[in-house]
Amino acid sequence: MRHLPLASLLLLLSFAISVSAADVDYLREVKPILHERCFACHGALKQEAGLRLDTGTLIRQGGDSGGAIEPGKSSESLLVERVAAESEDERMPPEGKPLTPDEIELLKRWIDGGAISPTDERPDEDPRQHWAFQLPTQGDVPQPRDPPWSHNSVDAFIAAQRKARNLKPVPSVDRQLLLRRVYLDLVGLPPTRSQVQAFLDDTHDDAYERVVDELLESPHYGERWGRHWMDVWRYSDWFGLGAQLRYSQKHIWHWRDWIVESLNEDKGYDRMIVEMLAADEVAPTDRDALRATGFLARNYFLFNRTTWLDETIEHTSQAFLGLTINCAKCHDHKYDPISQVDYYRMRAVFEPHQVRLDAVPGQTDFEKDGLPRVFDAHPEEPTYLHIRGDAANPDKDRVITPGVPAILAAEERNIKPVALPPESHNPALQSFVLEDHLNIAKRAIAVAKQSLVQSREVLASLEPASAAAAASAEVGKPAKPNLFLRDDFKQLAAEQWEIGAGEWKVEGDILIQTQIGASRAYLRTRRDHPGDFQATLKFTTTGGQQWRSVGLAFDVAGDHEKLVYLSAVSPGSKLQVSYKTGANQNYPPNGKLDLPVSLDTPYEMSIRVRDRLVNVSLNGRHLLAYELPVERSVGRIDLVAFDAAAKFHSIEIIELSPSVKLIQPAPDGSAPNKPMTIDQAKLAIAVTERALAAAEARPAALRTAHAADVAKHQLTPPENLPQLIHEAAVAARSLELAQAEQAVASAQQLLAEAAEQTKAKAEQDLKTAQANVEKARAARRQPGESYTSLRASLKALEGPAEKDDSRFAPYPTTSTGRRTAFARWIADAKNPLTARVAVNHIWTRHFGQPLVESVTDFGRRAPKPSQHALLDWLAVDFMAHDWSMKRLHRMMVTSQTYRLSTSVAEADASTRDSDPKNEYYWRRQPIRMESQVVRDSLLQLAGVLDPTLGGPTIDPNKEDNTYRRSLYFTHSRDDQNKFLTMFDDADIGRCYRRDESIVPQQALTLANSKLSLTLARKMAEKLENELGQASDEQFVAEAFRMILATAPTTDESSACVDAMQQTRDILTKARHAQPETRSRADLVHALLNHNDFVTIR
Amino acid sequence: MSKLSPSSPSPSRRCFLSGAGLGFAGLAMSAMLQGDGFGASVAQQLPDGEPHFTPKARSVIWLFMRGGVSHMESFDHKPMLTNYAGKTINETPWSDVQDPERLKKVRVVVVNDANGQQRNELYPLQIGFQKHGQSGIEVSDWFPHIGSCADDIAFVRSMWTTDDNHGAQVQFHSGRHMLDGRFPTIGAWVKYGLGTLNDNLPQFITMGPRFFDTRDGHYLGPANDAVPLKVDPNDPLPYAKPELDLSHDEQKIEFDLINRLNRLNEAKYPDDEAMRARIKSYELAFRMQAAVPNVISFDDETQGTQDLYGFDDAKTKPFGMQLLAARRFVEKGVRFIQIMHGDGAAGAWDAHSNLKTNHTGLAAQVDKPIAGLLIDLKQRGLLNETIVVFATEFGRTPGSQSGNGRDHHPYGFSIWMAGGGLKGGIAHGATDEIGFHADEHPHYVTDVHATIMQLLGLDARRLEVPGHKRLEIDFGQPIEQIIA
Repeated sequence: MRHLPLASLLLLLSFAISVSAADVDYLREVKPILHERCFACHGALKQEAGLRLDTGTLIRQGGDSGGAIEPGKSSESLLVERVAAESEDERMPPEGKPLTPDEIELLKRWIDGGAISPTDERPDEDPRQHWAFQLPTQGDVPQPRDPPWSHNSVDAFIAAQRKARNLKPVPSVDRQLLLRRVYLDLVGLPPTRSQVQAFLDDTHDDAYERVVDELLESPHYGERWGRHWMDVWRYSDWFGLGAQLRYSQKHIWHWRDWIVESLNEDKGYDRMIVEMLAADEVAPTDRDALRATGFLARNYFLFNRTTWLDETIEHTSQAFLGLTINCAKCHDHKYDPISQVDYYRMRAVFEPHQVRLDAVPGQTDFEKDGLPRVFDAHPEEPTYLHIRGDAANPDKDRVITPGVPAILAAEERNIKPVALPPESHNPALQSFVLEDHLNIAKRAIAVAKQSLVQSREVLASLEPASAAAAASAEVGKPAKPNLFLRDDFKQLAAEQWEIGAGEWKVEGDILIQTQIGASRAYLRTRRDHPGDFQATLKFTTTGGQQWRSVGLAFDVAGDHEKLVYLSAVSPGSKLQVSYKTGANQNYPPNGKLDLPVSLDTPYEMSIRVRDRLVNVSLNGRHLLAYELPVERSVGRIDLVAFDAAAKFHSIEIIELSPSVKLIQPAPDGSAPNKPMTIDQAKLAIAVTERALAAAEARPAALRTAHAADVAKHQLTPPENLPQLIHEAAVAARSLELAQAEQAVASAQQLLAEAAEQTKAKAEQDLKTAQANVEKARAARRQPGESYTSLRASLKALEGPAEKDDSRFAPYPTTSTGRRTAFARWIADAKNPLTARVAVNHIWTRHFGQPLVESVTDFGRRAPKPSQHALLDWLAVDFMAHDWSMKRLHRMMVTSQTYRLSTSVAEADASTRDSDPKNEYYWRRQPIRMESQVVRDSLLQLAGVLDPTLGGPTIDPNKEDNTYRRSLYFTHSRDDQNKFLTMFDDADIGRCYRRDESIVPQQALTLANSKLSLTLARKMAEKLENELGQASDEQFVAEAFRMILATAPTTDESSACVDAMQQTRDILTKARHAQPETRSRADLVHALLNHNDFVTIR
Repeated sequence: MSKLSPSSPSPSRRCFLSGAGLGFAGLAMSAMLQGDGFGASVAQQLPDGEPHFTPKARSVIWLFMRGGVSHMESFDHKPMLTNYAGKTINETPWSDVQDPERLKKVRVVVVNDANGQQRNELYPLQIGFQKHGQSGIEVSDWFPHIGSCADDIAFVRSMWTTDDNHGAQVQFHSGRHMLDGRFPTIGAWVKYGLGTLNDNLPQFITMGPRFFDTRDGHYLGPANDAVPLKVDPNDPLPYAKPELDLSHDEQKIEFDLINRLNRLNEAKYPDDEAMRARIKSYELAFRMQAAVPNVISFDDETQGTQDLYGFDDAKTKPFGMQLLAARRFVEKGVRFIQIMHGDGAAGAWDAHSNLKTNHTGLAAQVDKPIAGLLIDLKQRGLLNETIVVFATEFGRTPGSQSGNGRDHHPYGFSIWMAGGGLKGGIAHGATDEIGFHADEHPHYVTDVHATIMQLLGLDARRLEVPGHKRLEIDFGQPIEQIIA
């Protein structure tokens, strides 16, 4: 037999008598077929052709074409004729597969047997009368006499129902477990030992209530319940390919922070709904509120707009309304009074909206930060019904207007377009945007200035005479270098040099080294050299097997040294600065310069060192400026040849005068300076001068453009607007001219360096650049009115094919107001669903079982819940008190119902038998901790939790190194934390309730993960420190209380003590250093694997 | 109807709490679920680990070549491509293959993507073909070893799918298009439906590089996700052994203590089924820790066996080790072993250019080990109870891309299956002369699932879960012609 839909089973069960016709049972066999295949069009929902098939009487009565059956004669029955028809046009039902031969046979046999049905059979209720479609009303609160049950309305309803059924509740949970329960429930962290003690010592009647108030005021409340709502509202970080955004939005964490903050300030749920769906219309310049629209932005899907909107519709209606409107995408809803047109009316609400990132103060790079938000980009975009849900087949005959499902439209709502303030549709008008751009412009000026200084220094270093003169003139006294060592190698002077490894000799005023192979030959000075020095070495490399490196080491002492050398290795000849850390020789890429080095060519290498700055020049050309990343130290200088035969002509080492200017490394720290000639250096100076001029022209352009734009967008533009525009245009033309001049300087530089074959093109480029300068000069004489506005927003691509033209077009100045009207309808006290659905979600998480089982479907398939009166009372109370969630939490967790034990050990036997599923709350449901609570609890118990609130999502690669709460981890299709996934982490697609699976992988995770082992050891250490000298029994008792919030029984205690002893024995045998400490750590670790650690009792 | 009492008013996700999902054979589901409020649904057929009818096989080894293997250069010989090489499809007698109506079935995910386009200029075959075995089935020379097993294999040359991008990998596994959301994969259904044959091992294992969709259970719950394994006895599965120093003896003491404490806790919390399930899960976890490294250690395999899987060649060894591990898991009663081949974002077989170099290299990695697996299973009498599947997400275009490659091709491609309940030496279905459309006996990807389910004795319709109605296409149709 096929599966029966739930409702039909309930129907079945509601009939006591089973009526059979011949051997066919109408209720059991026939009606389910009709229910499944026919009721949608011929039942309470619709009566196509005037026909209803939901009771035997109605079937016999028939519709427009007369009786649907002829009892006793299946062959003359229209019903059989239509379901068995060959032709698709004739056959019923019109959609889906035909009835099976077996099903048709059953119908026939029932008809032939006389079509008997119960006389008291009632038709399906009018869909409008469905309980959840009626406004909730607040009935009288029952007045139980039993004191613990009379203080709280929740209890009053529960107790009354239970009494009527003669069910007896179990006793309350003990105080410590209750404290753990309410801590985990409200803030998602277990209480610390001192919090437990304070509570146990507090004998006031309202001790518990005060703890509840305290917890609700804690910022951790927002984090705990924020994660619940992130489940329901489908929080997902972005994913894509490389940097390409495909799903959700970058920086969507702003929405997470809005959720947490809104809960902490107890913002009304109605207001939260309106902000999530339409903050851009109701608070268009309030960046805090705009974060809320992340709810919509997270649905972004690059590749398919219909998929994107379908998800928006489906989950907006399921989350807030508990309606499965998505069922009406392809055809009218089969169970609920929602038509396909209703579906597309809802689509029309969202049709105009798109997503964009707006700038946030202090950041202009959207990759680094930005505010994801929605806005109406296409107010005119029509919505069409998709025939059978096929996006490729829209019904263009009719434009669908925005609206809400007819059945739930309490009153006609006017959709009023919203005129947006200028700063909303043009976020660049905000003052911080100008500030941020000016700051960048200022930094650019500083960099340009530094480049200029540097390029001047390069020139100075190439003109030694003039530089020295300038330097002396500057300090006003003659430069008298303090000589440290000079050697023209007339002999090998043993008083100057300690002769190290190698084959050294002097021949004709030349020092010759001939040892080759991969080892170092050196001469070492006999004294420590001055800290800041200049060394000039003249040498010729004559051979070597491979490396052919010749140079100087300084700071040589023990293991320390820094090394500068010229290597004639081929391929890859280079100049290299190198340094040692420990035993490692480091060859930093930015301390290296590739250049041709020839054998048998004399080189003059000059090395200047001041503090950590090293300058190297070769044959009078500055080549390399490098900043050592390690400290300097005192030491000798080595003359070094590594696998190099070499001739040394002379060496001079002098103390470096403070007046000598050294060259800084390139500002970006990466590229070493290119070797230059004096001419090249002069050209480079020209380029940097022009670049500085251009950078300096930018702030004025930014300021004037911003001022003109702000003025332009004022309601009444000021009188001086033309003047402001003129100023902006002048500044823009000045900037353009400066840039054109910079381009000329660059072109000149390129031309000077151009190889023969590219020279012609370089000349042409220079001419073009020069012509552009002429044009720019002319333009500045007649600046016109154009200027470049600031941008502070980036629209997410509407699809993979979108081009810059539309992407960077100005945003509309009005919003349709559709989403505001829609949100206000959802958040209206006259909407029968919204408050009920929210109350049910909150209740489910406090009590571990929902009032309405299908939390996302309050439609006709959801039977009236057993606690209907309570649900309605809470819903009305919720709305009457500003939709305050904290009030609801307080009411629920301070109820006696909440405080019941999860144990049935002392339960009344007949209660257990008659309500095994606890439908009437005679006991409490144990709850498995959510994945985040498992991890956060471990952190809290170990005392290492980093309580920092909010901020960017934690980089997935850094999750192992952070002890922040788990809700800040990256949570997307492509990245979910491995530890968390083991414990049923939230599905990003839909997670209205978490799964609570129990699988061996969870056991392995808690038993073997580094996290649980590390934290268990920390916990044991902490506990040991707190307890001081403690026996095993005392330690076990305290560990139990800390981790499981209960005292161990005698058996439990001795089991633990035994295990600790065993552990010590085997560790002692294995010569472990600390068997005592480890046995305690192992005990704590075992308790973390106890069922009741991951269970909220 | 379900064995459970029909008094529960509502479907519940909690059914996944589950013994069957865990594989606690012999523990009745109803016992697992009663009494703690984890109400089970009346409308659901909860699997009890038993097949619905007599099975012909008990385990599945699912080999999946990521990226898209060229069907015309593996198992579907199309000499016309060489004959008409360089001609556009329009210039051949088969211009009707590009009839827009016939091209409509593909749902384009990435509009204007450079991939998944029509490629019009026919590209000649890059490899020769040989007839193999008594059946004389033609297999390309890139797969000579698989060819030598042709008489044991049922080739299906008429597959089609609807996603022209690599989301088709997910589609092949779940039966649903990328845009439809995420659905349980075939391995998850088998695990969910059949439960365990071995209490010491995970029942659904995956090896090799997976696609981004690394969950399998989806709405069937994480208990039905594949357990990812590596053929590395030191690090075979997530959290398989302590990540900090903790000796085996210490751990044994801990597990014994945990077990003892949880059992003592039963006195405080009688009838707590979640707690009982947790006790079982710790027992299984402890056994799994020991059993899994044991299975993937090959010390007791002969040199001959190791050579059969290509252990003696660095090219074949990595894949061969996974296949030998698969055989050993099958021996121990693991239900479903999924092995993916071809790393990279899209999958290594994605030969948009340099197809010849690409396929030559990749085929050399898998051909010998796969044949070795078939031979080994057969000689141990395991082939008749194991289904080996060779699949890929789609084929490649008859036309050329980048001058020497082929693009994605969802309209027609090949897979093969061998083993329990299947015919050998049969080539079923056909594409047209240029390998474009699956013309004769076209099979949507879920037909492969339906065939496997049937051979394992499962009726997919009886596994349906309330609130997750499946489409007709999700169930597929068994490929009767290849079933023995």
